[in-house]
Amino acid sequence: MHKKIISILTVTALLFGATVMAHTIAKKGMRADLVLMPKFLGILVFDQANNGAQEAHKELGNPGKLEFLGPTPENSVAGQIEILTTATTQGQDGIMISNNAGDQIAPAAKAARAKGMTVVTWDSPIPSADGEQLFIAQVDFNETGMVMADMALNIIGPGGGEFAVLSATPDAANQNAWNASMKEHLKDPKYSKIKLVDLVYGDDQSEKSYNQALALVDKYPNLKLIMAPTTVGIAAAAKAMQDEGMCDQVKVSGLGLPAEMVSYTLNGCAPEFALWSFVDLGYLSYYATYMMATGQIEGVAGETFKAGRMGYYTIEKDPTRDKGLRVKMGPFSVYNKDNVEAASK
Amino acid sequence: MVKYLSQVRPEKQRELVLLLLILLVVIFFAMMIPNYLNARLFNRVSTSVAIMAVLAIGQTLVVLTRNIDLSVGSIVGFTAYFVGQQLSHNNEIEPMVAVLMAIGVGALMGGFNGILVAYCRVPAIIVTLGTMALFRTLLVEYSDAQTVLTVNLPQWLLDFPRLNVLSHGRLHLRFVVVIMLAVVVLFQLFLRFSSFGRKLYAIGSNPEAANNAGFPTQRIVLISFLLCGALAGLTGFLFLARFGNITVVAGIGFELKSVAAVVVGGVNIFGGSGSILGATLGAILIDLLENSLIRWLQISEFWRDALLGLLILTSVATDSIFMKRIRLYWAKRHAPSTS
Amino acid sequence: MGWEGFLLVVLLLIICVNSFNSLAFLTVENQVNLFVLSVEKIIIALIMTFIILNAEIDLSVASMMGLAACALGWMVESGTSTSTAIGLCLIIGLVGGAFNAYWITIVKLPSLVVTLAMLIGFRGLGRVLIEDRSIRVFPPWFENLGQQPILGPLPLSILIFLVLLVIAVVILQYTGFGRYVYVIGISQEVATYSGVRVARVKTILFMVSGLISALAGILFSARLGSVRGDMGLGFELDIITMVLLGGVSIFGGAGSIYGVILSILIVLYLRNGMSLSNVTGHIQTGVIGVILILSAMIPNIKSWLESIFDKKYAP
Repeated sequence: MHKKIISILTVTALLFGATVMAHTIAKKGMRADLVLMPKFLGILVFDQANNGAQEAHKELGNPGKLEFLGPTPENSVAGQIEILTTATTQGQDGIMISNNAGDQIAPAAKAARAKGMTVVTWDSPIPSADGEQLFIAQVDFNETGMVMADMALNIIGPGGGEFAVLSATPDAANQNAWNASMKEHLKDPKYSKIKLVDLVYGDDQSEKSYNQALALVDKYPNLKLIMAPTTVGIAAAAKAMQDEGMCDQVKVSGLGLPAEMVSYTLNGCAPEFALWSFVDLGYLSYYATYMMATGQIEGVAGETFKAGRMGYYTIEKDPTRDKGLRVKMGPFSVYNKDNVEAASK
Repeated sequence: MVKYLSQVRPEKQRELVLLLLILLVVIFFAMMIPNYLNARLFNRVSTSVAIMAVLAIGQTLVVLTRNIDLSVGSIVGFTAYFVGQQLSHNNEIEPMVAVLMAIGVGALMGGFNGILVAYCRVPAIIVTLGTMALFRTLLVEYSDAQTVLTVNLPQWLLDFPRLNVLSHGRLHLRFVVVIMLAVVVLFQLFLRFSSFGRKLYAIGSNPEAANNAGFPTQRIVLISFLLCGALAGLTGFLFLARFGNITVVAGIGFELKSVAAVVVGGVNIFGGSGSILGATLGAILIDLLENSLIRWLQISEFWRDALLGLLILTSVATDSIFMKRIRLYWAKRHAPSTS
Repeated sequence: MGWEGFLLVVLLLIICVNSFNSLAFLTVENQVNLFVLSVEKIIIALIMTFIILNAEIDLSVASMMGLAACALGWMVESGTSTSTAIGLCLIIGLVGGAFNAYWITIVKLPSLVVTLAMLIGFRGLGRVLIEDRSIRVFPPWFENLGQQPILGPLPLSILIFLVLLVIAVVILQYTGFGRYVYVIGISQEVATYSGVRVARVKTILFMVSGLISALAGILFSARLGSVRGDMGLGFELDIITMVLLGGVSIFGGAGSIYGVILSILIVLYLRNGMSLSNVTGHIQTGVIGVILILSAMIPNIKSWLESIFDKKYAP
C-alpha cells in the first residue's frame, strides 16, 4: 500500500515539476529574417554582439537572413528610427535594437509591432517599453549603479574625494539608468566621503571623450577619479590621463573591455573596471528573438527558454522600469591587474 | 604712427595685430582665472594647436588661390585610420615610413580634389563638399566600421605625444610642437621666397591676369591642393598619435576649424593675400580661446562655438574694411614715381 | 526642356529599378515614410533654390535648424507653452536670417564666409542653450504633429511642404520678385543699374531662409520628440545637391524650380531604394557626394555636348 502511494506521489511530483519547469528548447531550422541594430557602427562591443548573434544564427540553422545594420554615430537617433522604419517596410520578421534613441523610437517600434514584427531590445531598452516586447538586460541596471559606486569608493579610498562621470550620449537609456542608479546609491552613508562633481557626455566618440576628460581635470583640479560607464569613454579617458602624465593623480574606471584596457590597468591608470560578455549578450538576444519570431515562445512573464549553450532563462517583469519585461543575462566581471591579462586574450 | 604704417607691410601689420590679440587674451584670462598661467596651459595649448596649425597651413595654400578645401576633415580621418590600421597589423613599420605613408595618402586625396577643380573647372566648394562625403564613405567602407585600438599600436606611437625635445621643470616642448614649428617655418619661407609662392599669390589676386601672363594656373592650383592634402595627411598622423582610438567620425568638423583659423589669421577668402604665419597665429588664438573658456567657470564653455562664429565675422569684416584702406595708403606711398 | 527632360528619364529609371528591387517601394506607407523622413531637407531645398539662383549661398541652414530646435526645447523646458515657443522660434529664424543679411548686404562680405561663420555660430548658440543634454519634455500633441495623418495618409509636415512648394513655384515663375531673383543672379551690376533694389531682395531671401530653417527645426523636433545640440549635422550636403542636380547653376541666374522638384524626387528615391536594399547610410552619403560633383559639372557637360553637336552638324 505504501509503495503505491509513494509511487503515485512520485509520479505526481514529477509531473508537477515538469509542468512548472516547462521550458522551451529552440527548434532549429525555422525561417526568420532578423535584423541586429546596434546604437551605431564602429564600436568593438557591438561587433562582439554581432559575433554572438552570428554564432547563434549558425547554430540554429536559420535559413533566413541576419542583417547587421546601424547608423553613423553623428546621426544615431534619426538613423535608428530610419532603419527600423525601413525594416518594417521590408517586412522583416524581427529586429534586435540596442536603443540609442530614447522614447523617440517608440512610435516606429509600435508601427513595427502592428505589422507583426518581433521587437526585442538589448543592451539599452526603450524607456517607456512602448513597442518593445522584451528587453535582454546584460545585468540588473540598479546593480550597475552599485558596482560603479563601489568601484569609486574602492579606488578613491577611505579619505574620500571628488569624482566625475564621463558618459556616452544623453539619449542612451542604459547610460541614464546606470547614472541615475549610481546617484541613488551614493546617498547611502557608506559613500558619504566621495562626491560626484560633474556628469559630461563623450557621445561614445574617442576624440570627444578624450577632450572631455581633459576638460574635467582642467575644471576640477582636485579630481581623483573619472568614472566612464562606456567602453569608448574609459579608453579615451585613460589615454588622456596617460598622455598628460596624470595617472597618479586621477584614476579612471567604469565599464571597459579588457582587450582595450589591458595596458592602462597594468600601468595603474585604470586599476579597476567592470563589464560583461557582449558576445553572450548578442547570442542570447538572437535566441530570444528567433524563438519569439517563429512563435515558439510568446514573450510573456514566467516563460522559460533554453538559449543554446547559455542555458535556461526566464522572462520576468523588469523591476528597474515602470513597464516592460526583461531577461537578465548574467553577472558582472570586475577586472583588475590580477585578471585583466587573461581576460584580454 | 603714420611713419609706422608706411614702413611695415599690411600683412605684417595684420600679424602684429594677431600677436597683440593673443597677448590680450592671455592677460584677460590670467586676471579672471586663478592659476591660469602655468606649465599645464602651455603644454595643453601647444599640443592641440600643433594639429590644427598644420591643417590650417594646408588650407592657407588652397585659399590663397581663391579656392577652399572642405574635405580636409575627411582626409585627416581617413589617413589617421589607414596608417593606424597598417601599424596595427604590422608593428614593425618604421616611424618615418608611417609618416610618409600618411603624407602620401593625403596627397593622393588632395590631388583628386585638385584635378576636379583645376582641370574639370568645378568650383572648389562643390568639389570638396562632395569629396568630404565621398572620403568619409571611403573611410567607413575601408574600416568596415571597426575601430583602431590603442592596444594594437606600437609603443613608439603611443609614447609620441609625450616625447619632449626640451623640458624646463613642468614646461615641456613636445616633439609634435617642433614638427609644427618646422612646417610653419618651411612653408612661410617657401611662399615668401620661391617663384611658386609668388605665382600662388598672383593667381589668387587676379586669375585672368595670371592666365594672360602665361602662368601654368591649372598646374599650380593642382599642386596647392596636393600640398593641402599632404599636410592633412600629416595632421592625420599627429591625430592618430594623440588619440590612438580612431573611429569613423575622426576628424569631423576639422574643415570648419581650419577655415576659421585661416580667416581669423588674416588670409583673404578671395585669395591673393595673407601669410602662413598669420594662419598659424589664427589657429593659436582660436585654440587659446577654447582652452581658456573651459577653465573659466563663470561662463559656460559652450559659448566657444558661438564666439568663434562672431570672431570669424569680425575678422573678415575688419580685413575687408581696414585692410583695403591700409593697402591703398601703402600703395600710394610706395608707388614708383612716374615723373 | 533639355535638362529637366534628362532628369525625368533618370527618375523613371530609378522608380523602375526600385520597384523591381523591392515590392514594398510603391506602397503608400513607404512613399509617405520616405518623404516624412526627409521633409526637413526638402523644405529647405525650396528656399535654397532661390538663394543659389541669386548667386549666393547659405551654409548656415542646418545650424539654424539646430538652433531653433534647441531654443524650442529650452523654452518649453523653462515653462513656456509649446505654441508660444514655436512662434518665438520662427522669429529667431527671421532674426538669424536678418543677421546674415546685414553682413552680406551692408558690410558686403561674401555670403560664403558669412554663412560659414554662422554655420559654426548658430550651432554654438544652440549648445549654449541646452549644452550637452537632450530635452524631451514636449506634450503629446506636439509629438503627434509629425506622424499623425491629417489629409488622407499625409501628415502635417508633408502638407506644409506641398503648400510651400506651390508658393515657391508661383513666386519664382510668375511674379516680379522671382524675376528680380534671376536678374540679380545673372549680373548684380546690371540689376542695380536697372533699378532693382538688390539689397532688399537679398535681405528678404536670407530672412526667409532663416525662417524656413527654423520651421524645419521645429518639424524635426516634433518628429523625433526630442532636441539635441547636433541635430541636422551634415544636412547641407543633401540640400545643395538637390538644388544643383536640378539644373540650378552655382554661379546663379540659371535653372528652374521644376528641375529642383525632379531632383528632390531623384535624391529621395535613390536614398530610399538604397535603404530598402540595406545599403548603409555612409554609402548613401558617398553616392550623394558623387552626384553633387557630377551635377556641378553639368554646365561643362552641357557645353561640351553642345560643341560636339555643333561640330557634327555644322554646315
